[in-house]
Parts: sequence; C-alpha cells; structure tokens
Amino acid sequence: MPDLDSGHLFLTYLIPIKRGGPRNDVSFKQKVRIELARLPPAHQTPATQKTAYAAPFARNLRNHFARMFVLDNVVYNGRNRQNALVATVKKVNTITPEPVDGLRSAYLVFTADIDAIVKDGDPLPSELSADAQRRVRMAYAQTLWETMGEEIKAIFGNCHGFDGTDSGQAFGAYLERCHVETTMPYHDYYLNLPAFNDLPLKGLIVAVGVPAVIGVGALLLRLFGMSFLLGMNTLVLGLLGVALTCLAFVLAVRFAIANGAKPLPPAAHDDLPTVLKALYIQQRFTDFIAEHQGAAPATLHAAFGDFLAQHAPADITHPTQRPGVISDRAPQPRAGV
Amino acid sequence: MAYALNLHDIQGNVTRAYGRFSFPFARYFFFQIRHPAAGRAFVDAVRREVTTSARWPDEADKPNCTVNIAFTFMGLYWLEVPNRTLQGMPDVFISGMRSRASMLGDRDPTITADDDPDWDRDWDPIWQGNRKEGLGGSEDVHILVTLNAQPDLAGAEPGSQDFLARLKNPHPDLEAKTDWLRSLTSDGIVLLERNGKAGDAPFQSASAVFDDFGGVTLPTAREHFGFTDGIGDPVFKGQYPPAQEKTAVIGRGKRMGGDWEALETGEFILGHTGESQELPPTAMPPEFMQNGTFMAYRKLHENVASFQSVVDEEAQGFATSMAIDEPQARETLLAKMCGRWSDGVPLAVVPDYDEWIAFGKARGWRNENGSMLMTPDAWRKQIAYIRSAEASDFRYADDMAGFKCPGGAHMRRMNTRDYLDPLNAFGIDPETGKQFENAGATHALNKRRRILRRGLPYGPPNFEPRDDASEQGVIMMAMGVDLFRQFEFVQQQWIQYGLDFHQGNNTCPMLGRHDHHTRHMIPSDPKSGKPPYMMTKLKTFVECRGGDYFFVPSMIALRMIAMGIVDPT
Repeated sequence: MPDLDSGHLFLTYLIPIKRGGPRNDVSFKQKVRIELARLPPAHQTPATQKTAYAAPFARNLRNHFARMFVLDNVVYNGRNRQNALVATVKKVNTITPEPVDGLRSAYLVFTADIDAIVKDGDPLPSELSADAQRRVRMAYAQTLWETMGEEIKAIFGNCHGFDGTDSGQAFGAYLERCHVETTMPYHDYYLNLPAFNDLPLKGLIVAVGVPAVIGVGALLLRLFGMSFLLGMNTLVLGLLGVALTCLAFVLAVRFAIANGAKPLPPAAHDDLPTVLKALYIQQRFTDFIAEHQGAAPATLHAAFGDFLAQHAPADITHPTQRPGVISDRAPQPRAGV
Repeated sequence: MAYALNLHDIQGNVTRAYGRFSFPFARYFFFQIRHPAAGRAFVDAVRREVTTSARWPDEADKPNCTVNIAFTFMGLYWLEVPNRTLQGMPDVFISGMRSRASMLGDRDPTITADDDPDWDRDWDPIWQGNRKEGLGGSEDVHILVTLNAQPDLAGAEPGSQDFLARLKNPHPDLEAKTDWLRSLTSDGIVLLERNGKAGDAPFQSASAVFDDFGGVTLPTAREHFGFTDGIGDPVFKGQYPPAQEKTAVIGRGKRMGGDWEALETGEFILGHTGESQELPPTAMPPEFMQNGTFMAYRKLHENVASFQSVVDEEAQGFATSMAIDEPQARETLLAKMCGRWSDGVPLAVVPDYDEWIAFGKARGWRNENGSMLMTPDAWRKQIAYIRSAEASDFRYADDMAGFKCPGGAHMRRMNTRDYLDPLNAFGIDPETGKQFENAGATHALNKRRRILRRGLPYGPPNFEPRDDASEQGVIMMAMGVDLFRQFEFVQQQWIQYGLDFHQGNNTCPMLGRHDHHTRHMIPSDPKSGKPPYMMTKLKTFVECRGGDYFFVPSMIALRMIAMGIVDPT
C-alpha cells in the first residue's frame, strides 16, 4: 500500500466538481476556486502575518503538508508519436484526427501528508492493514470536519455527490469514494536513513536462472540424442526445468512488486508534534548558546538547568511552536475558528 | 583549439576589470533621454569612443581613459528599440532593480512595502526617483556611461620614484572626456546631476583606496573596511590568450574532477554556449544580444564606524573564548568573517594566525614584528601576490565543516567552489582522523552562479577619517548573461540567507542584512580543544544606496541602436 510510508499517510483525493453552475450564478468550478482563494494562508510572510486567522489546516496536529487545487482537464500532448517508417507501413493517415481524451468534469484535487494515527499522541505505525488505513483516513476526516467544517462545506458544496453531508463520519465516507492511491510518497525528515527494502537481485536471478539452465541444458541434450542423464529422462527433466523457471519467474516478479510496496518504518522523531517541538527547541537552544558562550562552567550548568526547566525538551506538547507559523517569535494568529 | 572571441565587438569592461589593468579612477555618468532621435545621436557619438576588448597593445592602443556605455530597459524603450525586441528581454531586466528590492534584501523583508512606503529613504536622490511609481518615468535613468582613467604618468619610467609619485592623480583625459560627454548633451538628452548622498554631484566618482607607503601615495587593492578585494574574478574561455589562460584559470575557473578549466563564455557573454551546454535565450534579432551582457549597478555604502565597533566588541569575547590576545583575536575574527586575511591570503590555505604572520614575513610585506611594511617595495610584493594564481588556488570540499574557513564566511558564500557538490562526504574520515578530502568534488552547483565583478570603491582616500555618515563604499557592477540566475540568486540565497551553507537564516556576515539575524558561526576544530564561537552582535554594515539593471550591448548592437535599425523581423 504505497499510501503508507515511514509512518505517514500520503493521501490523494480526486473530488469531481459539479458541471455547470447554479441558476444566475458563476460556475461551480469558479465557486470552488473562489473558496480556495479565500482560505487564509499560513503565517509565513509579512503580508500573510496580517491575516487574523492562520491556514485552516494549521488548526490540527496531523498535517505536515496539505494542498488543494482545481484540475481542469488532462493535458493533450498532441498525436501519439510513432516511428515514421512503421506509420508508413501501417498506412497511418496523419490527416485524420486522433480522438482526444478528456475528463468529464473538473476535479478538486486534495493531497495531504499526515501522521498515520487515529488519535493525537499515538505513536507512528510501521505497518497498517488496508482496514487500519481506512480508519486513519476516517479519523483524519473527522478531525478536519471538527476544525474546518465551515470551509469544507463552502468548498465541497460545489462538488458532485457532497450534498447532504452533515457530519465528520459522512465526510469521511464521501472522501473514501474519492480516494486514489498515492504512487509516489515523499519524505524529508530522516535524521538517519532507514534500512531500505533492497531487492535481493542476485538471489532472484539464481532462483530463476538455475532451473532455466537445467531445463534448457536437458532439452539440448535430448536434441543431441541423449535420452537419459544420471538415470533421469532428459525430456521430463527439461520440461520440468522450464516449468519451474516459469513459476520462479512469476514468483520473483510478485516478490519484487511486493517488496517495492512495503512501507519504510517511521523515522525517529518525525510526528508533527515532535517536529514542532524540535523547531522550538532549535531556536531557543541557539539563543541559549549565544547568550552563554564563554560562561564559567558553574554558571553554564545552572543556566542549562533553568533552560531545561523552562523549555522542557522532553514534553512535546508544551512549550512548543504552533503549526502554521514560521517561528514562535513571529506574529501568531489570533485564536479563532 | 582555443575559443576565439570577436574581441573588437565586445565592450572592454566585460573582459577586463579595469582596476587590475592600472585604471584606478572612474566616473559614472547617468543620462536621461527626452527625445529619441537625440538619444540615438548621443549613442552614435559615444559608440565611436567606446573601448572594446581588443587586446593591448597588439590589437588596439591602451587608452588613457576608457569609455563604456550601458542602457536600462527604459533607456532602450526611449531609444525606440522595437517592441518585439524589447519583449524578448529578460523579465527581471524589464522590471528593474527597484522592484526586486525585497528579494535582494535592499529593504526589510519582514515589512511589506505598504507598511514602509518610504523604504528607499537612504538611497541617493538620483535612484529614489528612478522607476518610482507615480512619477510617470520623469526621473528614470536611461543610460550609463563609465569612464576609467589611468594615472597621469607622463611617460615616467616604470618603478621610478617619479612614476610612483604620479600614481595618485588621474590622467587629464578623464577631465577631457567629462567635458566631451557634457558637450554631447542637449534638450533631448540630459545628464542627471543628482549623484551622491546630497544629490548634487554631476557624476558618481570612484577610485581605488590609496594609502601612504613611506611618503608615497599608492593605490591599494583594499576597500574601506580594510579587506583586500577583487581577487578571485571568474575566468572564461576566450578572455585571455591561450598561454595566459592556463595560469589565469587556476582558482578562478572551474574544476570538474580534474584540473582548473575556464568557464564557458556563455555564462558571461550572450550568444555563446553556457555551462548548460545551451545558448542563452535571446531577443530578436540575435545580433542585438550577441556579444552583449547584463549588469547590475549598485552603490553599496559601507558603515565603517559600525563595522569597526562591532568587530572591536566581538574581538573581546573572541579573545577570551580562545585565550588569545586582542590584536590576534581581531585579525582572526576579520578573517573568519571574510574568508581571507585582511591582506588577501586565503584562510583555506593559511588557516592559522601565526602561520599567516610568517607567510607575510617570508613574502616580504611584513616586518619582524609582524606588522605591515609600508614601503613601495612591500606594496609591490603584496600586489604581485594577490595577482598571482597562488592567491586563488584553493578549495572548500576538504573543509566541509568549516574549521579553516567558516561555512558562512563572505567569500565562501560568494563563490562556493567545490563546497556544494552533493556527493561530498561530511565529517571525519576514520582512516586519517581528519576531514574528508573529497578530492573529486566538482564545481557543478557553482559554475552557473558566477558573476564578473567590475567597479571600484568610492569615498575619501584611506587616511581621511570616516564614520557611518560619511560617503564611502563600493560601486558594485555585477555582470553575467542572466541577472536572475546569477546576480539575484547569489544576492538572495547566498548573501541574505544561509540554508545552502547550513547557516539557517544567518546572512553574510559582511554584506547581509543584520536587522533581524545578527549571528555568524565560527566553527572550531574539536581537536584544538577550543569551543566554536558565535558572533551575535552583527549590524548591517553594507547598505544599498540605489542602482539599476543595465544591458551592455556589443559594438554591432550599439551601431544598430544608434542608426535606429534594430530589425526583429
């Protein structure tokens, strides 16, 4: 399940936007765009720091990254290219237009990287069954509904099949119908690289190659008139070898795919609350160094004791940096919806 | 085969930093076109005097005073360069430098322009009105003409006392050329006489910083903070004759795993292949940009008093922390901020203070006590050293942790050399117990960010007193084919930000803004038993006083502009 990697879910949802628009109004597509444009951004620049509210995704402690955008249609890349000689032989007439593929409606694309947990404070998991992943997604949808339900209704209200959704549970069920597998997760928190799921290529080559060599060898011997080898029928041996080769090949391919789909284990300290705490401690500890360099050992010892008491590095909940701000010194969003 | 350039077609300031070629005096004139035909007539008159890159003395006579010309985007517009050609110009050049101020760190990036509409209050008046909203272009700068003069040697025997004594005065041709430029102005083309802090100077003058060497006033390679400057300019294919190129590229070209090689011409001159092995984009017709380049002209004011007081204060803490005396702490701190010792010796080669003093003694510019010898002979030896390949021949990949030269030091930011090779190993090699050598490290992430540095210091001679308010600094002219990829990238990512060097938000200790981020980290080899030292009191020492982006056309393009026949069809 490529959605799960390193203890995080990399989510992709494709939500169809209603076609057309309400009577005497702009299109549903434009209404989605308007609602997205109205979302407050994170407090990361002097201009955005003036907004009263931070990005709604900063109202929970699951999101590492979230993005919403409108996908109008798929890009048409022109005619399918092919070898000119082949096309000539096949008598392809390039004057005749090829069919152009398109989407039946625009889509709202919603992607998010989240901690794969059901409730705040859970440890990041290494493995999750398909059903457990579904529970994580449902819990995430519930969290979003509780923290940014208003925005969700405003945006998703223009989407196909959303009408009547009135609870976190129903929103989760709606999102489930729009869920597509993420095929390329991206993770950037590694302190130390994990043990990657390397493919045992040599072993697989041996597993497929040995029966292949025996099978083909035996058939060749049969061809040259040698019916028995060490008391075995070379024809039977050859066919057996070929059959084993095919079986080994199929198993090897399935193994390779399964190996590629295996998630990597969570890296140390990379759930969102820990990352935020790390950012906080990093800033405060740099200040501490700047203020105390050159201090006498006893002073330093006492000061560091105060530092530990004040900033509690072991407590990831408090004091810490809030999500959606560039540092805990920057202007913070006012409390609000 | 050596790469041959049409040097007669390229303006001389592109291939030569005049300061290195015995032109220590300069005047920069800014003009505004009021009538296109008058503008073209002016260009036609000036282009006949423009100094090309033709080699002295074989291909051209060495002038007493050079002439070069460049245009802002609005200048090209007023010269009636066709719209189709103008549309092909790069967007940052079209926007101009003022609109890029936030990104360049020329105004406080934590305040929006709406909240600080007066952010350019310290700029020189000539630049305050340039491209400013609401003025309808009435104060725009259109044309820059630069004059660089040799000293008034009057045929004195090189090296003689008379020769040395004459080095402090510019050749009379500088004044004559000034008069000539004035004579070309009219109602249709005016000289903007609003230079300087007071806005009353007819031109921006600049000159090398001079000093007294045993009663003789001689030009130094230093700027007003006291650092030796202008050493490691890039070297590109075709810039030097083949024999000379071999030594010129050492430390100033690129390394791609082997020896030093010249950079591709197309990084600095349009119409030639660049380091991406592609031709840079061009406006139509291609001859318009061929052999031209772009230039960022910036007047950089130096707050000398702030700099000295911060360094003095930090030196006390550094001396205590490192258990050394204060003069040594001060010199070491300066070197750790810059990346070179104040006399130009690179930290990467001579990392230790005692070694550095010994180095200067052995080379003949320091006396027995270790202080600078102020004699013409010592001056000559010092200049010869910084002009030599030796002063540029070093790398950073063998010092990834910055024990010798800190990762955030000025020079290491400006020219990262082989430091940013992503395959470099970081840490201590368990076999040798030293940092990894990274012998095969390349300049791959560096070679597309190089810029040619032209221009000179401005302000009083070295021996006049200066403070933050007095006029001194450097006229910085950064040249390259792509202002965005080269100058702006270095200015934003490497000067005003530190992530590429693992410095977080710490800006360049010398050029960076320090109104919010005031720190510079000086690592220390753990083997020495000394702790690292964090400078914490940095102030903004260098402030932009204005400038703009200019296009420096080839001689062919100048002629086309003057004749009004730029034909993009």
